[in-house]
Amino acid sequence: MAVAPITTDNSYGTWKFCAWNGMIFMVVFMLFWGLMGHNLPPYAGDDAASVIAEYFRDNRQSVRLGMVVSMTFAVSYAVWGISIGKVMDHILGRGHILTDLQIWGAGLTVVPILVSSSIWLTGSYRPDALPDEILQLLYDMAWLLIDLAYSVTSVQMIALGVGCLRDKRAQPFFPKWVCWYSIWVGFMFVAECLMPFFKTGAFARQGILNYWIEFGIFFIYAPIITYYLLKAIGRIRAEQGD
Amino acid sequence: MQASASQDSKPDHAPIKGQGSGGLPGDEGVWFFIIADMGMFAVFFLLFMFGQAQDPETYRQSRSVLDPLIGLLNTIILLFSGWWIVRAVEAARREEWEAAFRRTLLALIIGLGFAVTKILEYKAKYDAGIAIDANEFFTYYFAFTGIHFLHFVIGVGVLIVTLTKLRKPEGGATLRWLESAAAYWHMVDLLWLILFPMIYLAGGTA
Repeated sequence: MAVAPITTDNSYGTWKFCAWNGMIFMVVFMLFWGLMGHNLPPYAGDDAASVIAEYFRDNRQSVRLGMVVSMTFAVSYAVWGISIGKVMDHILGRGHILTDLQIWGAGLTVVPILVSSSIWLTGSYRPDALPDEILQLLYDMAWLLIDLAYSVTSVQMIALGVGCLRDKRAQPFFPKWVCWYSIWVGFMFVAECLMPFFKTGAFARQGILNYWIEFGIFFIYAPIITYYLLKAIGRIRAEQGD
Repeated sequence: MQASASQDSKPDHAPIKGQGSGGLPGDEGVWFFIIADMGMFAVFFLLFMFGQAQDPETYRQSRSVLDPLIGLLNTIILLFSGWWIVRAVEAARREEWEAAFRRTLLALIIGLGFAVTKILEYKAKYDAGIAIDANEFFTYYFAFTGIHFLHFVIGVGVLIVTLTKLRKPEGGATLRWLESAAAYWHMVDLLWLILFPMIYLAGGTA
């Protein structure tokens, strides 16, 4: 079967810059959304409205800065997905549907990060003027959105895994375990569906499964993929004689 | 060899190989998925056991609502289904593709019984007014068996794809696929072999 010609784009430096965006995203996400936004870990689902209101009022500057930077760099995830797509072109041929799914999944992942960060930002904007219950509502809404929008990221991860498993090279760009890790992480995110039903326990937003494990496997995902992505770009560059 | 080959006609050459470079049956990457998945279930099991140790009385009372015979029936269904998929792999290694197809189909049909009993079991709980938020025991019961059931549904899909591949076998590649599918299907029954005694039996009833 004829494979569509691979990309003629040889701006490998730009590819690498885009690939590094995966790391940039994750570092920014952990530092600004996580630490400055006080989301490592989140306040519990059964915390009183007054506790959530106090969080917004006492940490308004920190949360504002965290969410502004988080929103600014959310697009890094999509940029990263584009560079993965370039490598997938060399595995599957240009225009393959799995590459499209991976890029769209990465691109759409930006949306819930942007929107949920803006909700946290809204809570920190004028917390003194808002009643406790409204601040709690904003906090709940942000967490429900960022957790339950998992499926767009799952599309990216599963498409990446399935697509890169089709690499016929003796030494594939992405090892099989990385491909299967990608599929597994995308699949395991389905446990987030249980989060809205609980305010305490393992499946609550602060629980061991739906926070510590689910976010843990997501936090190490981008660094693993980026490592092999950068190596793959180097190999493509060598193969193309640049 | 074509799908029409008789299962009784033994090829005069060594059995074909399906395993990857790691010597494991099937694709070694699938084993990463299986180990990662079982690691996640290991966390589930620890959570359940920890919860039971904290509040054994609630767990005992809640467990008394479950029907261990349905759990046992599910166990038998999955074990028989797993046995037929093993026999399908054996047949495929001898390039008896038609036998492999029939045995995989049998594994699938028997396995579907699990869906029937599980749905009936969930319906009985629903009719009795027992939901996922009834207490911690039922949270874990619905969540863990539900996630396991999701694995089962994916396994059914994998077996259906396997049947289509066995209709047009391509030697080692088809065997490798079948072995991978069988490994996954065994993971489904292995997980149930732990879920069943842990949820339905261990710790006793009130």
